[in-house]
Amino acid sequence: MRADDGWLAVALVPLLALVPVLWRVSRGAPEDRLIAQNLSSLLGGLALLPAAQGFGRPAYVDVALVLSVLGPTGTLIYARFLGVLPGSRLVRRTALLGVPAIVLPLCVAAGPGRAMAKLLLIGALLIAGSVVTGAGGGRGRKAAADGGRTA
Amino acid sequence: MTDVLIVVALLLVAGAATAAVLNRDPVRQALVLSFLGLALALLFTFLQAPDVALSQLAVGSAVTPLMILLTVRKVRRRPGDSTDKGRER
Repeated sequence: MRADDGWLAVALVPLLALVPVLWRVSRGAPEDRLIAQNLSSLLGGLALLPAAQGFGRPAYVDVALVLSVLGPTGTLIYARFLGVLPGSRLVRRTALLGVPAIVLPLCVAAGPGRAMAKLLLIGALLIAGSVVTGAGGGRGRKAAADGGRTA
Repeated sequence: MTDVLIVVALLLVAGAATAAVLNRDPVRQALVLSFLGLALALLFTFLQAPDVALSQLAVGSAVTPLMILLTVRKVRRRPGDSTDKGRER
Protein backbone atom coordinates (compact mmCIF):
# COMPACT_ATOMS: atom_id res chain seq x y z
CA MET A 1 0.00 0.00 0.00
CA ARG A 2 1.22 3.46 -0.90
CA ALA A 3 1.54 5.68 2.14
CA ASP A 4 1.91 9.43 1.90
CA ASP A 5 4.56 10.35 4.44
CA GLY A 6 3.71 14.05 4.58
CA TRP A 7 0.20 13.50 5.89
CA LEU A 8 1.45 10.92 8.37
CA ALA A 9 3.99 13.45 9.66
CA VAL A 10 1.09 15.87 10.17
CA ALA A 11 -0.76 13.16 12.10
CA LEU A 12 2.30 12.74 14.32
CA VAL A 13 1.96 16.30 15.71
CA PRO A 14 -1.33 15.86 17.63
CA LEU A 15 -0.21 12.36 18.58
CA LEU A 16 2.91 13.73 20.27
CA ALA A 17 0.78 16.42 21.90
CA LEU A 18 -1.12 13.58 23.60
CA VAL A 19 1.96 12.71 25.69
CA PRO A 20 1.74 15.71 28.09
CA VAL A 21 -2.03 15.25 28.11
CA LEU A 22 -1.46 11.71 29.38
CA TRP A 23 0.72 13.17 32.13
CA ARG A 24 -2.05 15.52 33.22
CA VAL A 25 -4.76 12.87 33.03
CA SER A 26 -2.77 10.51 35.24
CA ARG A 27 -1.39 13.04 37.75
CA GLY A 28 -3.45 16.11 38.47
CA ALA A 29 -6.44 17.64 40.20
CA PRO A 30 -9.82 16.18 39.15
CA GLU A 31 -10.70 19.32 37.18
CA ASP A 32 -7.39 19.11 35.33
CA ARG A 33 -8.08 15.47 34.51
CA LEU A 34 -11.46 16.33 33.04
CA ILE A 35 -9.89 19.05 30.89
CA ALA A 36 -7.19 16.60 29.81
CA GLN A 37 -9.80 13.98 28.88
CA ASN A 38 -11.64 16.60 26.83
CA LEU A 39 -8.42 17.64 25.10
CA SER A 40 -7.40 14.04 24.43
CA SER A 41 -10.54 13.30 22.38
CA LEU A 42 -10.01 16.49 20.38
CA LEU A 43 -6.35 15.66 19.69
CA GLY A 44 -7.27 12.07 18.82
CA GLY A 45 -9.70 13.29 16.19
CA LEU A 46 -7.07 15.65 14.82
CA ALA A 47 -4.57 12.77 14.58
CA LEU A 48 -7.01 10.45 12.81
CA LEU A 49 -7.99 12.84 10.01
CA PRO A 50 -4.54 13.27 8.37
CA ALA A 51 -3.76 9.61 9.05
CA ALA A 52 -6.76 8.61 6.92
CA GLN A 53 -5.45 10.79 4.10
CA GLY A 54 -1.91 9.49 4.58
CA PHE A 55 -2.94 5.85 4.39
CA GLY A 56 -5.00 6.60 1.29
CA ARG A 57 -8.13 5.15 2.90
CA PRO A 58 -10.87 7.80 3.16
CA ALA A 59 -13.07 5.32 5.03
CA TYR A 60 -10.82 5.69 8.09
CA VAL A 61 -12.40 9.11 8.58
CA ASP A 62 -15.40 7.30 10.08
CA VAL A 63 -13.41 6.62 13.25
CA ALA A 64 -12.82 10.36 13.64
CA LEU A 65 -16.54 10.99 13.03
CA VAL A 66 -17.53 8.60 15.83
CA LEU A 67 -14.89 10.13 18.10
CA SER A 68 -16.10 13.67 17.43
CA VAL A 69 -19.57 12.61 18.60
CA LEU A 70 -18.53 10.41 21.55
CA GLY A 71 -15.75 12.62 22.93
CA PRO A 72 -17.76 15.66 24.05
CA THR A 73 -20.60 13.34 25.11
CA GLY A 74 -18.20 11.49 27.40
CA THR A 75 -16.88 14.75 28.81
CA LEU A 76 -20.42 15.90 29.63
CA ILE A 77 -21.12 12.54 31.30
CA TYR A 78 -18.03 12.94 33.48
CA ALA A 79 -19.03 16.51 34.28
CA ARG A 80 -22.45 15.24 35.36
CA PHE A 81 -20.89 12.69 37.73
CA LEU A 82 -18.09 14.86 39.08
CA GLY A 83 -20.44 17.80 39.52
CA VAL A 84 -18.08 20.25 37.83
CA LEU A 85 -17.46 21.32 34.24
CA PRO A 86 -14.24 23.34 34.27
CA GLY A 87 -13.83 25.91 31.53
CA SER A 88 -10.64 25.64 29.57
CA ARG A 89 -9.22 28.28 27.29
CA LEU A 90 -6.64 25.75 26.09
CA VAL A 91 -9.29 23.39 24.71
CA ARG A 92 -11.14 26.20 22.94
CA ARG A 93 -7.97 27.62 21.42
CA THR A 94 -6.75 24.21 20.30
CA ALA A 95 -10.09 23.60 18.61
CA LEU A 96 -10.39 27.00 16.98
CA LEU A 97 -6.79 27.00 15.70
CA GLY A 98 -5.98 23.32 15.19
CA VAL A 99 -9.16 22.07 13.53
CA PRO A 100 -9.16 24.57 10.63
CA ALA A 101 -5.39 24.17 10.24
CA ILE A 102 -5.82 20.44 9.63
CA VAL A 103 -9.30 20.18 8.08
CA LEU A 104 -8.92 22.89 5.42
CA PRO A 105 -5.79 21.40 3.75
CA LEU A 106 -7.50 18.01 3.85
CA CYS A 107 -10.53 19.51 2.11
CA VAL A 108 -8.26 20.95 -0.59
CA ALA A 109 -6.62 17.55 -1.01
CA ALA A 110 -9.95 15.73 -1.11
CA GLY A 111 -11.56 18.06 -3.63
CA PRO A 112 -15.27 18.85 -3.78
CA GLY A 113 -17.62 15.98 -3.13
CA ARG A 114 -18.94 13.78 -0.38
CA ALA A 115 -15.53 13.31 1.25
CA MET A 116 -15.13 17.07 1.63
CA ALA A 117 -18.62 17.43 3.13
CA LYS A 118 -17.79 14.68 5.61
CA LEU A 119 -14.52 16.38 6.59
CA LEU A 120 -16.30 19.69 7.09
CA LEU A 121 -18.95 17.96 9.21
CA ILE A 122 -16.30 16.35 11.41
CA GLY A 123 -14.49 19.67 11.80
CA ALA A 124 -17.71 21.42 12.76
CA LEU A 125 -18.54 18.69 15.28
CA LEU A 126 -15.05 18.88 16.83
CA ILE A 127 -15.21 22.68 17.15
CA ALA A 128 -18.78 22.68 18.48
CA GLY A 129 -18.07 19.95 21.03
CA SER A 130 -14.91 21.66 22.28
CA VAL A 131 -16.55 25.08 22.52
CA VAL A 132 -19.50 23.69 24.48
CA THR A 133 -17.45 21.54 26.85
CA GLY A 134 -14.61 24.06 27.17
CA ALA A 135 -16.91 26.96 27.96
CA GLY A 136 -17.09 25.94 31.58
CA GLY A 137 -19.86 26.82 33.95
CA GLY A 138 -21.99 23.98 35.17
CA ARG A 139 -24.68 26.57 35.65
CA GLY A 140 -26.97 24.74 33.23
CA ARG A 141 -26.98 23.99 29.58
CA LYS A 142 -27.92 27.44 28.33
CA ALA A 143 -25.22 29.15 30.38
CA ALA A 144 -22.62 26.72 29.08
CA ALA A 145 -23.74 27.29 25.49
CA ASP A 146 -23.76 31.06 25.91
CA GLY A 147 -20.41 31.09 27.67
CA GLY A 148 -18.61 30.07 24.47
CA ARG A 149 -18.33 33.64 23.22
CA THR A 150 -16.99 35.07 26.46
CA ALA A 151 -13.26 34.74 26.94
CA MET B 1 6.59 6.87 8.87
CA THR B 2 3.85 4.41 9.68
CA ASP B 3 6.22 2.67 12.08
CA VAL B 4 6.84 5.94 13.94
CA LEU B 5 3.09 6.45 14.37
CA ILE B 6 2.66 2.89 15.63
CA VAL B 7 5.55 3.23 18.09
CA VAL B 8 4.20 6.51 19.52
CA ALA B 9 0.71 5.03 19.84
CA LEU B 10 2.15 1.94 21.53
CA LEU B 11 4.04 4.12 24.03
CA LEU B 12 0.83 6.03 24.75
CA VAL B 13 -1.03 2.76 25.35
CA ALA B 14 1.71 1.49 27.66
CA GLY B 15 1.84 4.75 29.60
CA ALA B 16 -1.94 5.00 29.95
CA ALA B 17 -2.25 1.38 31.07
CA THR B 18 0.50 1.84 33.68
CA ALA B 19 -1.15 5.04 34.93
CA ALA B 20 -4.52 3.26 35.16
CA VAL B 21 -2.94 0.59 37.34
CA LEU B 22 -1.09 3.05 39.57
CA ASN B 23 -4.12 5.25 40.26
CA ARG B 24 -6.06 4.04 43.28
CA ASP B 25 -9.22 6.13 43.21
CA PRO B 26 -11.83 4.49 40.91
CA VAL B 27 -13.16 7.82 39.64
CA ARG B 28 -9.69 8.89 38.55
CA GLN B 29 -9.09 5.44 37.11
CA ALA B 30 -12.19 5.87 34.95
CA LEU B 31 -10.73 9.02 33.39
CA VAL B 32 -7.41 7.28 32.72
CA LEU B 33 -9.29 4.30 31.27
CA SER B 34 -11.10 6.52 28.77
CA PHE B 35 -7.69 7.86 27.69
CA LEU B 36 -6.49 4.27 27.34
CA GLY B 37 -9.49 3.47 25.14
CA LEU B 38 -8.70 6.42 22.91
CA ALA B 39 -5.01 5.45 22.65
CA LEU B 40 -5.97 1.87 21.75
CA ALA B 41 -8.37 3.13 19.07
CA LEU B 42 -5.58 5.24 17.58
CA LEU B 43 -3.23 2.26 17.65
CA PHE B 44 -5.76 -0.01 15.92
CA THR B 45 -6.33 2.61 13.23
CA PHE B 46 -2.61 2.91 12.57
CA LEU B 47 -2.45 -0.90 12.37
CA GLN B 48 -5.03 -0.73 9.52
CA ALA B 49 -7.92 -2.08 11.57
CA PRO B 50 -10.51 0.74 11.67
CA ASP B 51 -13.40 -1.63 12.41
CA VAL B 52 -11.74 -2.79 15.62
CA ALA B 53 -10.95 0.85 16.40
CA LEU B 54 -14.62 1.78 16.06
CA SER B 55 -15.79 -0.82 18.54
CA GLN B 56 -12.88 -0.05 20.87
CA LEU B 57 -13.81 3.62 20.76
CA ALA B 58 -17.42 2.94 21.70
CA VAL B 59 -16.62 0.40 24.42
CA GLY B 60 -13.35 1.69 25.81
CA SER B 61 -13.84 5.43 25.81
CA ALA B 62 -17.54 5.65 26.67
CA VAL B 63 -19.21 2.54 28.05
CA THR B 64 -16.58 1.14 30.43
CA PRO B 65 -15.87 4.43 32.29
CA LEU B 66 -19.60 5.11 32.46
CA MET B 67 -20.21 1.70 34.05
CA ILE B 68 -17.39 2.32 36.56
CA LEU B 69 -18.80 5.71 37.49
CA LEU B 70 -22.33 4.31 37.89
CA THR B 71 -20.99 1.49 40.08
CA VAL B 72 -18.97 3.88 42.24
CA ARG B 73 -22.00 6.08 42.79
CA LYS B 74 -24.19 3.13 43.68
CA VAL B 75 -21.64 1.70 46.14
CA ARG B 76 -20.93 5.03 47.84
CA ARG B 77 -24.58 5.88 48.29
CA ARG B 78 -25.48 2.64 50.06
CA PRO B 79 -23.89 3.02 53.57
CA GLY B 80 -25.13 6.51 54.39
CA ASP B 81 -28.60 6.60 52.93
CA SER B 82 -29.44 9.85 54.73
CA THR B 83 -27.30 11.92 52.34
CA ASP B 84 -29.29 11.99 49.14
CA LYS B 85 -26.44 13.44 47.06
CA GLY B 86 -23.63 10.96 46.59
CA ARG B 87 -21.15 13.59 45.50
CA GLU B 88 -17.50 12.62 45.48
CA ARG B 89 -15.88 15.85 46.55
